[in-house]
Amino acid sequence: MGLRERLTTAAVRRVAVLVVEVPGWGRTRCAAEEQLRRRGWRPALTPADADALLVCGVPGARLAAAVDLVWDQLPGPRARAEVLDPAGTAAALDRVVAELSDDAAQRADAASRPGEPAMGIEAGADPAQDDAEDMDHGDDDPEDDSEDMDDGDMDMDMPMPAGIPLAGGGDARDGLEMDVLHVPLGPVLPAWPAGLVLHCTVQGDVVQETRAEVLPPDPAAEPDGDLVPGSPADRCDRAAGILALAGWADAAAAAARLRDDLLSPGNPGACRSALERLTRRVRRSRTLRWTLPGQLHGRLLALLDEAAAALTGTPTPIALLPLDDLAPLVTGQELGAVRLRVAAAELAPGTLVRSGAGLS
Amino acid sequence: MTGSSLTQVSAAWVPLAAVLLLAVAAAGAAFDGAVAARAEGRPWQHGAGVPVAETARLLRQRRRRTVAADRPLELVGTGGLVVVALLMVVVVPLGRWTLGDLPVGIVWFNAMDVVVWALVWLAGWGPNSAHALVGGYRFLAQALAYELPLMFAITAPAVAAGSLAVGDVVAAQEGLWFAVWMPVAFLVFCGAVLAFSVRAPFSAPAGTDLAGGVLADSSGIDRWLLLAGRWALMAAGSAFAVAVFLGGGHGPLLPAWLWSLVKTAALLAALVWVRRRLPTVRPDRLLPFGWVVVLPLVLLQLLVVAVVVVGRG
Repeated sequence: MGLRERLTTAAVRRVAVLVVEVPGWGRTRCAAEEQLRRRGWRPALTPADADALLVCGVPGARLAAAVDLVWDQLPGPRARAEVLDPAGTAAALDRVVAELSDDAAQRADAASRPGEPAMGIEAGADPAQDDAEDMDHGDDDPEDDSEDMDDGDMDMDMPMPAGIPLAGGGDARDGLEMDVLHVPLGPVLPAWPAGLVLHCTVQGDVVQETRAEVLPPDPAAEPDGDLVPGSPADRCDRAAGILALAGWADAAAAAARLRDDLLSPGNPGACRSALERLTRRVRRSRTLRWTLPGQLHGRLLALLDEAAAALTGTPTPIALLPLDDLAPLVTGQELGAVRLRVAAAELAPGTLVRSGAGLS
Repeated sequence: MTGSSLTQVSAAWVPLAAVLLLAVAAAGAAFDGAVAARAEGRPWQHGAGVPVAETARLLRQRRRRTVAADRPLELVGTGGLVVVALLMVVVVPLGRWTLGDLPVGIVWFNAMDVVVWALVWLAGWGPNSAHALVGGYRFLAQALAYELPLMFAITAPAVAAGSLAVGDVVAAQEGLWFAVWMPVAFLVFCGAVLAFSVRAPFSAPAGTDLAGGVLADSSGIDRWLLLAGRWALMAAGSAFAVAVFLGGGHGPLLPAWLWSLVKTAALLAALVWVRRRLPTVRPDRLLPFGWVVVLPLVLLQLLVVAVVVVGRG
């Protein structure tokens, strides 16, 4: 008994939390990330990696279905919490740790779950074709492609291992025939715009076709608010996303810390010098310049320079990217490059949803 | 037949060697956690407990499976990394003692690191998941870039010592470490250790941009084996580098076994520091770099070593 308790205590010391941002709750997500860092917890990259699911905001029906599917994929012991404003994050995470520590409840939860993995719901359905159904629009988790391998024009006589139709073939850019997979990216993905789903047709690791949409929040709920587009904190948040995707955890942590310092009323002088240090570090990194695709190193430096300019009182006007312009930006790129380009794009899902542009 | 002047200890010591390897690996992970905590603005002591907390967390976690996973191959891939790391240290001497004094110890180490190709690939193939699979492909691309430079890098000390036995290579470094007069081979080998343990700048197969890549769908004890395997590979690689480049147990005052340990810990710490300093390099950038820049350099190093050896007669 003593051993089990000690194991539980040690196991909840560093909880991995999968943070889901609903469009319009950007500030809450930032507060949650700050709380995780303060506690020495860490954000999870995938449902398999996560102990807890933290939903920032009130999702609409389709986003809620996606979140439920992700919840089913947490291995367990697992805990789930919802938070609606930055002030509520600490209490929500306290609830998470209490829930995770409750051995009896976790056992009951484990016993009530099916032992075999279940097929997910389909993500690729084009809303234009069947707009009357609801469940078909529910999206699923990006890390488990197995339910998305269906190719639209396939023959039903094909063998279907575990109920999954085999992937169809198609010519890839090198002239080789490669399997065509339909892999949705988002809506639950770290360092990714809130609620965005990028329906990708993938061959190998190259994204051949994409269609973007934003899953809206619950229309009845009042969003707490995003970071102000173009503000220093917003610039640092984007930079942190790019740096995290580039695999530079320490620089990403520095950018996220800076963002949180900028959001809290404090000492702007200290922020300015920290920003200068980060900019110098990014500018000097030859490895980063060498590895980032396209003009992304320049874009990253521009983000940091814009943050510095906004701090000294001369904000740079920014032009938000319309959702329709996202697909041409990422089509034909490798998966990792797609992630980086989306993180660098000036998307603001909260704004898109309010204006109705992202709804499909 | 034994290859050198080392004392081959009985197989009863194998469990102790395994514990020692995992302890060094855990120390590396703790140091890594401490550095990360500093970067996040917390005291380093908070980060040093990361391996313990993560182990407890994963031991308590259930194993999650995916639809139509290739379970046997997945198990080979996840469980294999720790095994390969243990097999690597079989030929690495601790001071004067070694578990297996093979006359071809260097070839043995090389064979083990090639097995990592298959294991990481299988760990990516197993879960039937797009992200993990792309992670596996990325590792193969990366392995093509680092493997030949690695092979030639460990050939240099063998040529200098005139033997493939690790004990002879250690003995040949009395007075002057090979790292001093073959720095290129040493640095290339250190890079290869980071690469086969999938650490930045060679961490693309498990990259954040792939949602964890080969790790994306593993949980519970499977994930622990993968993570521990990567740390153990890094520790085993460091220990081997100490034996063939940093003079093994040679050193003043301290006993030979302690020198081996101290040097291994220091090299592991240096590798952890490098990994935290650098972003991840995309495999498609790595391949031309490995073949056009690193491979000629390490061949040149080998030529220099060969000329010196011939010149000495």
